Amino acid sequence: MIQRLLRITTILGLIALIGGLGRADVLRADDDRDRDGRRPPQVLPSGFESTDRLLDDVERAERAPLYSAWIVESSRFMNVPHRSFQPDVGDPPFVNLPVNVGIIEGPDGKLTLYDSGWKQLAYIFDWNTSCCWDGIRHQLTAIGHDPTQVTRIVLGHGHWDHAGQLSEFPDAVVYIQKEELKQIDFFLHYPVDFNAGHIRAVNTVNPLTGAQVGPPAQACARSPVCGYPPQTVQEILGKVLSGKARIVDGRHEIARGLVIHPAFRGHTYGSQLLQVNTARGQIVFGSDTYSSWTGIRDWLVANIQQTDTIQQFLAYEKCYVLTSRLNSFNNCVAAHEPTAYTNDYPLTANWWNIPNGNCSRAAELILAPGKTTHVPASPNKILCVNSTPPPHPISP
Amino acid sequence: MSRASGLVQLWMTPRTILLALLVIGLIGVLAFATTREISRTTTPVVDTPPARPARPALSPVEEAFIQSLWPIHGEVQRSLMRTSLGQILYKTNDVSRADLEMRMKQALATYGRAETSIRALDPPASLRRDHEIYLDAVRLLRESAVEAMKMFKDGREDHLVTAYPKSQAASDKIREVGGKFWPNEFPPN
Repeated sequence: MIQRLLRITTILGLIALIGGLGRADVLRADDDRDRDGRRPPQVLPSGFESTDRLLDDVERAERAPLYSAWIVESSRFMNVPHRSFQPDVGDPPFVNLPVNVGIIEGPDGKLTLYDSGWKQLAYIFDWNTSCCWDGIRHQLTAIGHDPTQVTRIVLGHGHWDHAGQLSEFPDAVVYIQKEELKQIDFFLHYPVDFNAGHIRAVNTVNPLTGAQVGPPAQACARSPVCGYPPQTVQEILGKVLSGKARIVDGRHEIARGLVIHPAFRGHTYGSQLLQVNTARGQIVFGSDTYSSWTGIRDWLVANIQQTDTIQQFLAYEKCYVLTSRLNSFNNCVAAHEPTAYTNDYPLTANWWNIPNGNCSRAAELILAPGKTTHVPASPNKILCVNSTPPPHPISP
Repeated sequence: MSRASGLVQLWMTPRTILLALLVIGLIGVLAFATTREISRTTTPVVDTPPARPARPALSPVEEAFIQSLWPIHGEVQRSLMRTSLGQILYKTNDVSRADLEMRMKQALATYGRAETSIRALDPPASLRRDHEIYLDAVRLLRESAVEAMKMFKDGREDHLVTAYPKSQAASDKIREVGGKFWPNEFPPN
C-alpha cells in the first residue's frame, strides 16, 4: 500500500514537474517568442535565421517567378561628412548620399515598393543641404510605371527619410515589423535620468541642462530611435486603420520569390530585408541595414547611428548567403550608397536622370525575361543638383 | 673569361667612372624631387563643404517665442505618438483597451493644456502665421482625441477611423512648423 502511494506520488510529481516546465509563463533561454511584461526590456527577439533556412529560401525562390527591379532616388543628402556615414572611410571628406527606393515588378505587373521615400519638404529648405526631391508617384510615371499598380510597400525601417509618402498609395498594403513599432513606443517612455537625454524617441530637453529651452543640437544623432516624427507614425497608423497594413513578426513570405527577412537592430530595432528572385539571382534590398554597398562589400560598419554593429554584420551575412548562388554582394541593394548611379556600383550602372524629376535619378537593376526596358533610348546622364523643392503650402 | 676582363678594363677608366657617378647623382636628385612632388600633391587637403545659405537670424522676440513653444511642442508630439502607437499596438493585441484609453485620456489633457498655453503666447508679427498653424494643429488633435474616446463609451472602433484625418492633418502642420523652428529636431538618420 505504502509502495503504491509512493509510486503514485512520484508519478504525480513528475507530471507536475513536466507540466510546470511546459507552462506558458516559464521563460526559457531557447524561447524567443514575444512575451510582453515577462522578459526584461533588453531581452529582445533576435531575428536569427540559420544559414540552412536562408539557403532553403534561395532554393524555393529559384522555383518562383522572376521579378524586374529598379531604384529611384527620392532625395539626396548633400555634403555629408564621410566619417559620420562610414567611420572607417574619410576620403573624400564629404559625400552626397542618395535616398533610394526600390521598385519591384511582379509577373502580374503589380508593383512592390521597398521603402517609400521622403516626404518632409521643409527639411530641404531648413537644412539646405539636400537636393533633388521628387514625388514618388511622379517618379514612377516618369520612368514608365503606373503608380496605381503599387499594391505593396515594404518598409525596410520606419525612419522619416524611408517611410514618407505612404499616403500617396492609399490602396497599397504596408509591411512593417512589429518590433519596429514596439521600439518607438519603448523609447517614448524611456527614462533620461542617467543618459543625459541621449537615448530618446523625441527630442524634448537639452541633454546638457535637462531644461526644455531649445532643441539640443544633434542630441539623438547617435541613436536610431529618434528618426520618427509623429507625422511618419501617423501615416503608418492610417494604413493600419484602413486595413492596409501587415504587421510582420520576423521572416515573412509575401509572395513566391518575394521574402522579408528580419534584420533586427541591424539599423533600427525592426529593420527588415527584402529578397527578390530575379534573372541575376536573388537581389536583397537592405535599406539602412546596409546603407552603403561598399560597406557590405568591404565589411565596414555603417554610420554611428546603427543600433548594433554585430547585428548589422549578421545582416550583411544574410545578404551574402541569399546571394551566394549568383553575384554575391553585388546583388545587395543599399539605400544611401554614394557611388550609386555610377559604374562603381555595377548593379546601378544602368541609370538616367528622371525626366522633369528635379535632378533625381533612376536605375534599372534587372529585367525579367521578355520585359521591355524602361531606360530611355537616349538617357540623360548628366549629373545635376536642384535644391528647389516643389511648393508645399499649408493653410491654417 | 679573358674577354670579359678585357671589357671591364676597357670601361673602368677614370673618365667612365666619373661619368657613371654623375649619372647616378642626377638620377638620385631626380628621384628625390619626384618623391617630394608626389608627397606634396598627396598631402590630404582639408576639404570643407560648400557653405549653407544662412538662415535669417531670429530677433530676440522671435527667439523667445520659439523657445516658449518648445516644451509644449515636446509634450504634444509625445502624446500624439503615444496615441498613434497605442492604436496600432491595440490593433495587434499588444496594447490593452484600458491602456489605450489611458493614453487617450492623458493626450486629451495634454492637448487642452497645450491649447491654453499656446493661446497665451504673444507671437511677433513675423511668426503669427506659424502660431496660428500650431494652434490649429493642437485643436485638431483635441477634436480627434474626443472622437476617438467615444470608442470607450459605445465600443465602436470605427471612431478611430473617423478621428484619424484630423490627427493626420495636425501632424503635417506640426512637422512643417517644427521643421522651420527646430531643424535639428530629427537629424539625418
